[in-house]
Amino acid sequence: MHLDVYGDTLCALVAATALASSGNNVQLHVPEGNVAMQLARRECPFREPGLAEMMAEQAESGRLLLCTMQTPPHQASTVVWLALSPDALELAHAVVTALPTDRVQPWLVVNQSTFAVGTSDSLQQALSARAELSDTDCAVVSLPDLLIEGNALQSFMRADSWLLGSEHLWAQNLVAELLRPFNRRRDAVMVMSSREAEFSKLAITGMLATRLSYMNDMANLADTLQVDIERVRQGMGADKRIGDAYLYPGCGFGGLSFSRDVMSLATTLQGSGMQPQLLDEVLRINERQKEVLFRKLWQHYGTNLRGRRVAIWGVSFKPETSRIDNSPALKLMEALWAQGVEVHVHDPRALGVLREWAGERDDLVLHDDPYEAAAGADALMLVTEWKAYWSPDLFRLKMSMAHPLLLDGRNVWDPDFMKQSGFDYLGIGRR
Amino acid sequence: MHESRRNSEAWQALMAHGDTMRDKHLAGLFADDPQRFAQLHREFGPILFDFSKQRLGQKTLDCLLDLAHEQKLQERIQSLFSGAVVNQSEQRAAMHWALRLPAGAECSVNGEDVAALVHAQLARMEQVVQQVRSGQWRGVTGEVITDVVNIGVGGSDLGPLMVSEALTDWCLPGKSPLHVHFASTMDGSQLSQLLGGLSAHSTLFIISSKSFSTIDTLSNAATARHWLEREMGERPGLLGCHFLGVSAAANRMTEWGIAPANQMQLWDWVGGRYSLWSAIGLPVALAIGMQAFRELLAGAHAMDQHFQQAPFADNLPVLLGMIGVWNTNVMAINAHAILPYDGRLQALPDYFEQLEMESNGKSVNLAGETVDYATCPIVWGNVGPNAQHAFYQLLHQGTEAVTCDFIVPAKRYLEEQHHASATQLVAQHELALANCLAQSRLLALGDAAVEGAEQLPLNQRYRGNQPSSTLLLDELTPYSLGALIALYEHKVFVQSVIWDINPFDQWGVEMGKKIAMDTLAYIRGDGAEINNADSSTTGLLARIMG
Repeated sequence: MHLDVYGDTLCALVAATALASSGNNVQLHVPEGNVAMQLARRECPFREPGLAEMMAEQAESGRLLLCTMQTPPHQASTVVWLALSPDALELAHAVVTALPTDRVQPWLVVNQSTFAVGTSDSLQQALSARAELSDTDCAVVSLPDLLIEGNALQSFMRADSWLLGSEHLWAQNLVAELLRPFNRRRDAVMVMSSREAEFSKLAITGMLATRLSYMNDMANLADTLQVDIERVRQGMGADKRIGDAYLYPGCGFGGLSFSRDVMSLATTLQGSGMQPQLLDEVLRINERQKEVLFRKLWQHYGTNLRGRRVAIWGVSFKPETSRIDNSPALKLMEALWAQGVEVHVHDPRALGVLREWAGERDDLVLHDDPYEAAAGADALMLVTEWKAYWSPDLFRLKMSMAHPLLLDGRNVWDPDFMKQSGFDYLGIGRR
Repeated sequence: MHESRRNSEAWQALMAHGDTMRDKHLAGLFADDPQRFAQLHREFGPILFDFSKQRLGQKTLDCLLDLAHEQKLQERIQSLFSGAVVNQSEQRAAMHWALRLPAGAECSVNGEDVAALVHAQLARMEQVVQQVRSGQWRGVTGEVITDVVNIGVGGSDLGPLMVSEALTDWCLPGKSPLHVHFASTMDGSQLSQLLGGLSAHSTLFIISSKSFSTIDTLSNAATARHWLEREMGERPGLLGCHFLGVSAAANRMTEWGIAPANQMQLWDWVGGRYSLWSAIGLPVALAIGMQAFRELLAGAHAMDQHFQQAPFADNLPVLLGMIGVWNTNVMAINAHAILPYDGRLQALPDYFEQLEMESNGKSVNLAGETVDYATCPIVWGNVGPNAQHAFYQLLHQGTEAVTCDFIVPAKRYLEEQHHASATQLVAQHELALANCLAQSRLLALGDAAVEGAEQLPLNQRYRGNQPSSTLLLDELTPYSLGALIALYEHKVFVQSVIWDINPFDQWGVEMGKKIAMDTLAYIRGDGAEINNADSSTTGLLARIMG
């Protein structure tokens, strides 16, 4: 089958690669930006087991073709796969609205992007409205992205479950046909309405966010009660009813899929007057948590930060990405600047976007070397747990810092070892 | 004893003219002259001042302005605006007008660049406002400040409170939500209620007191401080993170524990009831932002200019003041109601009560003699539509003559945040406007406004002839509110000139505080018996002490 995949997300790359690997001819349309540039250089922008190799293989075979957003869908294609970034709703509408009206078969639009609940409905409207009568049968279905990061390709090709939201039997059958090669052990496709599928995705993300905010709440309590949250976390995780995923406390989560825009209802549904209450609170707690390292620093230095120098390691919202959307580091920097602190930053990939976000300013210095960032600092804050930060050269670090104060926003370091090495150590709920 | 003002030529002429007006009914005045409104209203900036429902005519205005000229009002205005010592009993200038000078204005008093002083303080205010409104003012534990409590009383409370409420539509959400509260009463009832709902970690207090010795304010401040220490422990930096001070007494602020960086200054040439334009207005600026606060100042400054420059016949403060003199001294009306037809102006009557009665509620003239004419009337009021269900009965059918000021904006609910329910809200404002116009009409005309009134029994009839003014604002904005408040400040000054009294002191509020200290010592058991106590006081004390 010929199909067209749109997007620069991990999901877009995985879906395009996997669908090509099962014999389909795939045009991958990538919006301009870092990902597009890396792909053009034949680099794989995501470190996922097997992904780079398989992408190269499929490109080699000619079944996976890289192209731009402006490239029209293939002549023989009637399937569009959307795996756009959560802030690219307008792009999604643009793609759908521009679909040619000259096909004999009706269009099938499979939406894997994470948008607000109710978006598939509005995409369906846009799709139906774009041609007069001729192809009212065209369908938008929702197929939420449930990839597990670090195991993305496998979690597509041997998925435990698919949530398929569809209002059209033919569309449902066509998706089942496309997924057939990845759905052999047992039928893992669960069919529901598109709104139900979107809502399930919201509920899943919301539950994960809730676990994180809950753990952060517990960690803050642990701080005041002289309890080590690490032992508590292991104790909780050992209970099978709870499990050990998403129990790591930290200095807040970022990214677009956890943002308030996405974790809400689309404008068309907001007339109901209802908004999730617990979820609102979870996101509010998270915003506050993003400043937890600032509060620890503020208290450590007796509310007097003017003229101090602080190093930040990691500003991307998670490791292995250059994106900084809603990253805790941004909020942290604003708080530090407002108190007259000079901020020195290292990040393996995100310095470029950070410079764009912050603009030119005297109180921000970017470093390509993490130790240079820390030199002369009154504190070092670890905000994003890039692997290279896990076992730093402590001797060098201690010698170069003005005050050996470590604020570990991801609890990656061992408190006792750090203290033995001569540092003041503050983690999230650690002692 | 020098001769009473009442014997002056202009005053005599005014009284003689009064004799010809006293019997005239407003219904008749309107019936006789269809052009009455056209002749008897004035406009300045966003304010239309309609005094055609006052019991006066062109001749009255002539007499009143003669009196103003005779009493050298123009020179006295110049003197006020030159920074001269116009508050003789305390040997001070009264330069609240200087607080609203635009940046870069030239104003040198005794060799000091007053405009520069004022703008330096505004710049400090702006820093604080920016830090708080951007969600970057931190409590001692690093939490963002979300609640600000203004602790002050009198001028340090009424002005900021009134303006904050009036400009509530300008309280657009900043980067983080900010709630501004006010606590004034010495018994701590407001404060204790507030503290119950606040988190110590995210609450900032403004201690606002010109002298920084006002017992009401200092006792509330002490309570706030204990609360913070109880909730968070005595940490270094606690006072620096949670207290701002506004005062003319920097050393007293420092003694109390306000960090120098958190001190904002005002000057002894600003009277308490004229101080909302200074750093005392900090809660206002926090609520509405510095830009809107500067618009408030600009509106007041425009009125200052108008007051100094406009001919008396078109000068709003002069006319408003002189018409008050007419009602008080010629028509012998001793009650004056302030009736805003806009719920946002709920605290305006309280504010004007202080402004008028604390300024002109006096009976000794500048020469130190007792006056033999009436001065400030009793001023009170409420939001008009609510007062209609309270004291309007007396206005319409009681035995007392009362003058009224109706204050109402022509347009409302144009702001974006009202968009969704604008239609319904605009309809409600139209209802309020209609009521405002209907009430002033009925008060003025009485039965003449009612068809077939003669048929009704006496208890359903309306005497009318109650004089009123209407101040119609285009819209209630920071600018128009600034102009409105300055209008009344200057009105009070005009009247003080005619009545020959000092509007800038307030000796009548001092002695009670002193006696209270003796009484307090006795109640707390560390003072002697109170000298010469009357039997009422001793009787009440006996019951209190059990």
